[in-house]
Amino acid sequence: MAMIDIKRASVRYQGGVTALDCVDLCVRAGEFVFVVGPTGAGKSTLLKLLYRGEAATEGYVSVAGSDLSTISSADIPLFRRKLGIVFQDYGLLPNKTVWENIAFALRVTGAGRTETRARVHAALEMVGMTHRPDATPSQISGGEQQRVAIARAIVNDPPLLIADEPTGNLDPDTSMGIVQLLNYINERGTTVIVATHDSMIVNMMQKRVVAVVAGKIARDEMRGDYGFERSSGYTGAGD
Amino acid sequence: MRPSSILFLLQEGYLNIRRNGLMSIAALGTVAVTLTILGASLWSVFRINEIAQQQPQTFNEIDVFMRPELLRDDALDLKERLTAVPHVGVVTFVSKEQAWKDLTSEEKTLTEAMPEDPLPDSYRIETTEARYVSEIAKALRDKAKYPEIEHVTDAGAEVRMMLAFARLIKVIGYGVAAALFIATMFIVYNTIRLTVFARRREIRIMQLVGATSWFIRIPLLIEGLFHGVAGATVATFIVLLGARQVAGFVDQIHSPLIPDVPSQASPFTISLLLIFIGAFVGLAGSHMSIRKYLKQI
Repeated sequence: MAMIDIKRASVRYQGGVTALDCVDLCVRAGEFVFVVGPTGAGKSTLLKLLYRGEAATEGYVSVAGSDLSTISSADIPLFRRKLGIVFQDYGLLPNKTVWENIAFALRVTGAGRTETRARVHAALEMVGMTHRPDATPSQISGGEQQRVAIARAIVNDPPLLIADEPTGNLDPDTSMGIVQLLNYINERGTTVIVATHDSMIVNMMQKRVVAVVAGKIARDEMRGDYGFERSSGYTGAGD
Repeated sequence: MRPSSILFLLQEGYLNIRRNGLMSIAALGTVAVTLTILGASLWSVFRINEIAQQQPQTFNEIDVFMRPELLRDDALDLKERLTAVPHVGVVTFVSKEQAWKDLTSEEKTLTEAMPEDPLPDSYRIETTEARYVSEIAKALRDKAKYPEIEHVTDAGAEVRMMLAFARLIKVIGYGVAAALFIATMFIVYNTIRLTVFARRREIRIMQLVGATSWFIRIPLLIEGLFHGVAGATVATFIVLLGARQVAGFVDQIHSPLIPDVPSQASPFTISLLLIFIGAFVGLAGSHMSIRKYLKQI
């Protein structure tokens, strides 16, 4: 079953700028995919397309069973409840505690207190943050903040987790811990899509790699490397 | 929506206000200042209108003096015809004896110097409305129609001036109040837009975790409502206190131009009006700014 099905999708802005150009991508449920490419290649736009942060100006996009080409504005929040999203800047609310930040994702979807308590505790356990539930984001390290952000992303038990540069602000050791956590979540059945610049992690994990260059899918390997060192000649043309 | 969700939204609204203390105080203060100006102008318009409406009542009278040689019975016969004139209200016959008696009690020195009663019989006519005074007085001066009448006095020019003044005050007052209402709306809208802008990161996160637009709006609407109502409450206190001081000052003046007119605009009415306006601008201001911002994300 396809978790993500993109057919000839493009994102073009006014003024003739093309962020994505006629992209085809199919990701099956349970896969772990790295999206790699140079800065400005279109990785983040591709991820935005997946959580409907951007709408495709052409083509067909289906994610977690929802047709995003025809989805109404009122249905977008309901669709996003099927996703977990993680950002490079963590996206935590600075005036809420760790526990409140995670619970927030449940409460906005209308979950009751008892359910929230149980799920938040389970998510904190999974990311190894049960020891700091009352800390605010400013009181914990970057790596811990990213763990909390991941806990918030998985607390709804979504079938798809999207992470945009989740290790961009972290040192190599902490980055490795975050990727191992994402891998663990994937092994439990969640489809994981990670956009990254971190060649060490991509090379070590040996997962599916989708390379985006100049708004096109330049390479799609089932067990790939980061690839840009040995393939520095990528121009995107003809891929 | 579940009761626990409603409670959560109310809590979020309350926490937003508490956690953004300085921004809340700035918003509340702005609303209070603008509503104080609006409230003071509204109260002034009410009071000036009340006084202006009251003034012409002392001028809605016409004194009609009979010819001195007219017999009393002929003078009394005129009452029926005077009453039949359109827009004439009460017609009171004042005998020359009664008029002399009244004058004697009011101007004793003057009447002592007079050898005899020089006053004729007369009628005092009250018109149904002050604006008909001139028209009726002019009709009664028609000697062919009313040969019994020697002289007619009215406060025509003064009445016209007073009524024009009252109308002018009303138009200017309501114009100023309307302009202030719109200005208040824009100030509150801008202030709340700043609080929404300061919350843009939170709004973005709420959108990404699947919050519906109403779930995002409600805490911000609660915040806007609080700023509006709390600001209006402060403004109400200031306006009522100021109104009391001004009323006390005016009472001390004792000018015949400022009659003692009891105010119909009770403190309760003013408070209710200001709080209603505060609630409205708070809700409408936050609704407009949220709607605009939600579209941008």
